[in-house]
Amino acid sequence: MEYAGGAQEQREHRRKQRFATKSMHMTQKYLRRMRDLGGTMEQMEPFFNVLERIYVQGLEVERPRNVRTVGTYCVQVPQELIYAAGAQPVKLCSGHYTAFSIGDDVVARDACPLVKAIAGFEHMGTLPLYENCSLMVVPITCDCKKRIAGLLQEKWPVHPLYVPANREDENIEHYVGELYQLMRMVSCVTGQEVTYESLAHALNLTGRAQYELSRFLRIKRATSNLLFGTHAMAVMNAASYLDAGTWADALRALNDELERRAYANKLVSRKDLPRIMLTGSPIVFPNLKIPLLVEEAGGMVVADETCMGERGMSDPVVPVDASFDGLMRSLAIRSLRPCPCPTFADNSQRIYRLRQMVRDYRVEGVIYHVLRGCLVYDYEYRLVEEELEGMGIPVIRLESDYTDQDVEQLRIRSEAFVETIKLKKGPLKAVRG
Amino acid sequence: MNRKGLVTAIVCALMVLVAYFAWQLVFFEYETDTYTTTAELLFTIDHLTKLVPLLIIGLLTAVGIVACIVVRNAIMRHDGQHGPFSARIATAPKGCVHGRRPSAFMVVRWVCMVGFFVVTVFGGVLLGVRYSWISIPVLSCPANMSQLTEASCYYLAHLEELAGLPLMGIVAFVVSTLGFVIVFGRVLCGFVCPMGLAQDVMHKIRQATKVEGISMTERMYQALVPIRWVMLLLMIGLSFVGGNFCNFCPAIALTPVAAGLSVSLYASGFLMVFVLIASFFKRRFFCTICPLGYLMGLAHGVQPFRIRKDCTACTECGACYEACPMGIKQLYTEREKTDVTDVSCIMCGECVRCCPEDRALSLTFLGKDVFVSKRSRVVQGYRR
Ligand code: SF4
Ligand code: SF4
Ligand code: SF4
Ligand code: SF4
Ligand code: SF4
Repeated sequence: MEYAGGAQEQREHRRKQRFATKSMHMTQKYLRRMRDLGGTMEQMEPFFNVLERIYVQGLEVERPRNVRTVGTYCVQVPQELIYAAGAQPVKLCSGHYTAFSIGDDVVARDACPLVKAIAGFEHMGTLPLYENCSLMVVPITCDCKKRIAGLLQEKWPVHPLYVPANREDENIEHYVGELYQLMRMVSCVTGQEVTYESLAHALNLTGRAQYELSRFLRIKRATSNLLFGTHAMAVMNAASYLDAGTWADALRALNDELERRAYANKLVSRKDLPRIMLTGSPIVFPNLKIPLLVEEAGGMVVADETCMGERGMSDPVVPVDASFDGLMRSLAIRSLRPCPCPTFADNSQRIYRLRQMVRDYRVEGVIYHVLRGCLVYDYEYRLVEEELEGMGIPVIRLESDYTDQDVEQLRIRSEAFVETIKLKKGPLKAVRG
Repeated sequence: MNRKGLVTAIVCALMVLVAYFAWQLVFFEYETDTYTTTAELLFTIDHLTKLVPLLIIGLLTAVGIVACIVVRNAIMRHDGQHGPFSARIATAPKGCVHGRRPSAFMVVRWVCMVGFFVVTVFGGVLLGVRYSWISIPVLSCPANMSQLTEASCYYLAHLEELAGLPLMGIVAFVVSTLGFVIVFGRVLCGFVCPMGLAQDVMHKIRQATKVEGISMTERMYQALVPIRWVMLLLMIGLSFVGGNFCNFCPAIALTPVAAGLSVSLYASGFLMVFVLIASFFKRRFFCTICPLGYLMGLAHGVQPFRIRKDCTACTECGACYEACPMGIKQLYTEREKTDVTDVSCIMCGECVRCCPEDRALSLTFLGKDVFVSKRSRVVQGYRR
């Protein structure tokens, strides 16, 4: 019996090793493809490096010793509160194919791949990013998130955050209460009280990241093709695993370089590539196949409205009242009101956000990304399609899973889409010329 | 009728009672009242002794505020959520969030408010002239005849006396009042009114001490609407049934006393204490029920100062609504109209200052931008 147990352990160990190697290769492949797009600058390296550090080298999040990490999912968890309690937030939404293939057997068949990938990491237990979390905060936004909260509970302390489905004044009041509870929970884990001073400090910290991000977006809007959209997405994804201050410093250097390049008119590609916007289900590293396919096919992803892109962080916290409760309110308000996530019952504001982005980035075509099983986004497709068609902007719906198997089909469709826009643009250019 | 309606009805009835018997609630009484002063008397010992009622009001306000905080902390200590923080609430904590850059508009607004305060307190005797034929519709109490101009509220509160004026007086009153209402409207509330300044100062004190305020929800604002109507009714109608709104109006306890006049205060004094306490916890509380401001707001359809919104640029982040002292919700919910000026809007510009989206909100005059929202204004201060 003893011997058999040992064999099983060994088998398990080998399986884990295989998993670790395979997932490392998968990440490496996507990092390589991103670099192969060309036009990377030295200032991009910190962002690539952190993605490599976490998923290829399998190291922990870089942080001072004895600072704990708190895992979060979704944009409705205010990172400020976690910093204020002396912990470091990491975003754990995953786009990993290898973990997905494990999770596929663990959770319900029709669950979305994002949740399956999380379950995969939970099941294998090889990634320090997940393993070392002291607490996981799961906002209950959709059914899959609710289930995953239950699953994660088996291994980590989990704090489910009840996100209201509406954003009326009463909902805000309620959410402020939720945030007080979250704050207490994080404080329990870190043993550090949240004080006015620490909360203000945290707001200033994330505020600086906010400031650099708004600069980044402004530069990107003013001059297009300064960097590939896929690279911009890498920048945003890297924020999940970096301290806000470090990320802000790196982004500041990148912004300075981009400004220099804009001044020198040094672009990464021809100026007249079809300008594409991504919207829809979350696109999380390393699942960057769609932007990669588009840009490899000669399109340019100029805008990204998904969670990791312009939705997640670009809305700043606006503290209006200087009291402690006022700061908490500003956090609650920022988490609920500007977020155009379809898990809210009334999400008509997403249409306006898209319209504004089409205007800001001079978008010529929109790719609506739907993860298989992500119902909330699928529901909204029709609405978005109608609206954009009214504006004369072509849209396609690309459904994908966390696997390489649908790549060929996606490639054909995205290439065709890019070509259509090129054709549409063709005569226009001739007229101008 | 639910409980909320009942409470509102009781409050309204109480207000009417207090207003009618206001002269019996003595706060500070003089043998004979004076309504003007001279330049020589300003800033003398005599002037200072006349400030005693203001001192009492200040003291009572301070005591009231501290009492409110103590009671609230006692209640909150047993609250599961906020309990652990209640001890910290009263003390001014260290640290501050420094994202927002100061804006020229706000500087101008404060300079205006303070400047007009001086003018409405003793501008007349200070400058040696007095334009008594000009009536401004703000609560700078006209019982104080040492100010530069007249204020409209006295005759609005005593319409039968207005009818008794010579024709030229009536014409001057109507023309100047209407003129100000149409050209400026509630801009006067944001820039000129001394009661507005007093309330904004209370708000600033709270911001500096970081004491928790009261954030009103839409339902609470709605509950105040009937109270505002009652206030308007009292102001216009009380003189016809033998009352005098001026014994009830808190504004008489501010500028006339500050000018060093001996004016007796009745219910007004108590009301002023209440107004100051209320506006400490809720910014510009009195303005949400002020009858004069409401009257000015009614003409907002034709006023040249407007709040404009670019509905596409707006992300519905709600920062404007949170910042607006008058709780104007359509600022952030509006999705079609480009004009979001509301009857309550006092043109304070807070919404524009806090809006993080470029050009989403703007304060305009005759279609020209005066103050426009910018992302950089909201986040620039974080830069290192
Ligand atoms: S789409 Fe909504 S629910 Fe899903 S990850 Fe983003 S914010 Fe969360
Ligand atoms: S007491 Fe009030 S209503 Fe009467 S004149 Fe003075 S400010 Fe106007
Ligand atoms: S609303 Fe406020 S600012 Fe305007 S007149 Fe009344 S008290 Fe003065
Ligand atoms: S709408 Fe704007 S300007 Fe008007 S009262 Fe509200 S915050 Fe002030
Ligand atoms: S602050 Fe600006 S962006 Fe936010 S809701 Fe108001 S108008 Fe819209």
